[in-house]
Amino acid sequence: MTIIRNSSENLEATTGKACGHIDQLIHDNPYLWRGCEMAGQGSHGHPTGYPDLDAILPGRGWPNKGMVEIVSSSWGMGELQLLIPLMCSIVEQGKWILWISPPYLLYAPALVQAGINTEQVLVLDLDTSCKDALWSMEKALQTESCGLVLAWQNWLPGKVLRRLQLAAETGDTLGVLFQQHVSKYSPSPLCLEIRNSLPEGSQNRARSQHIEVGVLKARGNFRPLSTHVSLHR
Amino acid sequence: MEEPSKELKSIARIPLPSVHSGARGQVVKLPSVDSSNDSAPTAAGSDRKKLRCLWYALYFPQLAELDAAQQKKYLLELAALAQTVSSTISFHPLALIFEIRSSLRYFGGIDVIHSKLEKLISEQLNAWRLPGSFSYSVSPTISGSLLLARSGHNVLVYQKDKLRSALGRLPTEVLQLSKEESRRLDNMGVRCLRDIWRLPASGLRKRFGSDLINRLNKAIGKAPEPTRNYQPPPAFVTSYDLPYEIENLTRLLPLIDEFMAQLCDFLRRHDLSTSHLVVSLLHEKRSSTRINLGLRQPSRSQKHLMLLLETHFTNLAIPAPVTAIKIVVQKFDSFFSQSGELLSEGKPHPIHYSDNKLNQFMEQLQARLGEHHIKSINNIAVHCPEHASTQLDYTEQNTRAATQQAAQNPRPLWLLATPQKLAVRHGRLYRHQPITLLSGPERIETYWWSGTDVQRNYYVATESNGSRLWVYRERTEAQAWYLHGLFA
Repeated sequence: MTIIRNSSENLEATTGKACGHIDQLIHDNPYLWRGCEMAGQGSHGHPTGYPDLDAILPGRGWPNKGMVEIVSSSWGMGELQLLIPLMCSIVEQGKWILWISPPYLLYAPALVQAGINTEQVLVLDLDTSCKDALWSMEKALQTESCGLVLAWQNWLPGKVLRRLQLAAETGDTLGVLFQQHVSKYSPSPLCLEIRNSLPEGSQNRARSQHIEVGVLKARGNFRPLSTHVSLHR
Repeated sequence: MEEPSKELKSIARIPLPSVHSGARGQVVKLPSVDSSNDSAPTAAGSDRKKLRCLWYALYFPQLAELDAAQQKKYLLELAALAQTVSSTISFHPLALIFEIRSSLRYFGGIDVIHSKLEKLISEQLNAWRLPGSFSYSVSPTISGSLLLARSGHNVLVYQKDKLRSALGRLPTEVLQLSKEESRRLDNMGVRCLRDIWRLPASGLRKRFGSDLINRLNKAIGKAPEPTRNYQPPPAFVTSYDLPYEIENLTRLLPLIDEFMAQLCDFLRRHDLSTSHLVVSLLHEKRSSTRINLGLRQPSRSQKHLMLLLETHFTNLAIPAPVTAIKIVVQKFDSFFSQSGELLSEGKPHPIHYSDNKLNQFMEQLQARLGEHHIKSINNIAVHCPEHASTQLDYTEQNTRAATQQAAQNPRPLWLLATPQKLAVRHGRLYRHQPITLLSGPERIETYWWSGTDVQRNYYVATESNGSRLWVYRERTEAQAWYLHGLFA
């Protein structure tokens, strides 16, 4: 499996076009087993909209269901920008996006700029208690008409995360949990960490924001990876 | 009225109810009931039924002064009163007409019925501060009764063949024709209905249309009269006294489940669904606990209602043990079923998830969290950044004009509820870490007319920890820097 991966990486570096063909060939061959699809049951994920990020995720994109944890040391480091393409496609499918107690006010003009229909966005107040927030998150994950559930909670015990994961699997929904701390034993299949990759003082690169996305844990990935993603294109 | 068979036998021997004729009424022989009736063929039975109908008309000229909606409301309430003597009631302008023959035997004659009704109705009319008088008449046809009642004479006509002569004396005003038509009739020398009957039908039809002829034919029973009957509004109230007090609400659930089953049965039978019901838990010496189950989409699914109730129960604190429960349906809705598609596989876009399931989910959320915790957001075309986005309760959607157009300049996904003041040290901006401006300024000046002048220069900036910020500098004297949003 390592061989295939290496070869495809090399190809990517040299010719982008040929890589697509080879991927297609590999994908069409049912007898070939690929390491990067190990836990994804062979299903490809939803493209993130950032090719660099796709490359390091199992299934080459966001999982179709289940929980994703995104860890960033402070809010607002670009974690929502990563999800914007996904949100757009979910809204296009006619599903709803539920924001559970976001730390700041969700600003409609930005959503409209991103092409997200605000009629399909629902927000739970910040002052809902943690218990209620988790309850509604579980219910939302179980509901098929919710395509994406975003929640901001820190320090959730593994038992709770396991329950949310199960709910997400039954409802075929993707749940994203934003955290400021790494929880070690989380049962989520995917856990990403966002780090700042802006070198001090480099003004020319600052215009297009770069962040470093690291995979803390991914079911099906065999080594920790990280990549630089350029946001605000 | 204990047993039907016994009753039938006894009826045959009962002397026919004597009817005192009114001013111009005729005493009639009621067709005697005998046991052979039951074995009679259906055709003959329906013939007899047609014969038997006797319509009692009540005419309320005093309602004419009220507006149409009020009239309708009053007539509905009067119909509810008339239900005590008849089951078939139809509405007409200013009048109620109901079938009375089937009730004659039970009440023991028209006099009893009339005195019973008169008391009820005049009481009701007095309660509305209207004159308590009304005219009434009885005849075998609906229109006939109506015309007789309109004439103001209280007439009782029991036989169809007598109807023509009774009606013939009435003036043409009772037909309530248009001004032009009544003038023409007057010019033709027609003063009462009898005069009309003397005219040739074909000529009449040519001059007045077939409507008039039809009406007169209906009145004397020559043409059928379809009517729409009054149906009392559905009501569902059930209550149950518990044999012992219950403190644990989960113990109540199976019991309420049973009543819900009754309710759903009731709804199914009436082809209705409900969108609002109230479950009251009664306590001793305390006021009862009311649980409002409001549904976004009318439902009659027992499972869904129970789920909602369960959700309510999880957050409910009762002041005392429950001694009784009561379920009242506040609002009935007609039932619309949604059929699934047979061939849904070939469809490329199964759009519109915003249906049943979402509504059920939202109801559940509202039941648990309360109405004001679920917001929908709206984009408003306003320059001032803090007013360009509103969060409304999910229930009061689309109250303000929302647009799907936004400014050209970058806007952050997150906005601070109140702008946070930034520190300036050694000529650099600080939040937690130093801030570098990236682009800008974008000048926003607005609300100069309202007193709270907004004059700001907006910049996109990054903090050295990587957060992308939306900051502004006030253009007023202080020239302070504020953080207003995060691009996240």
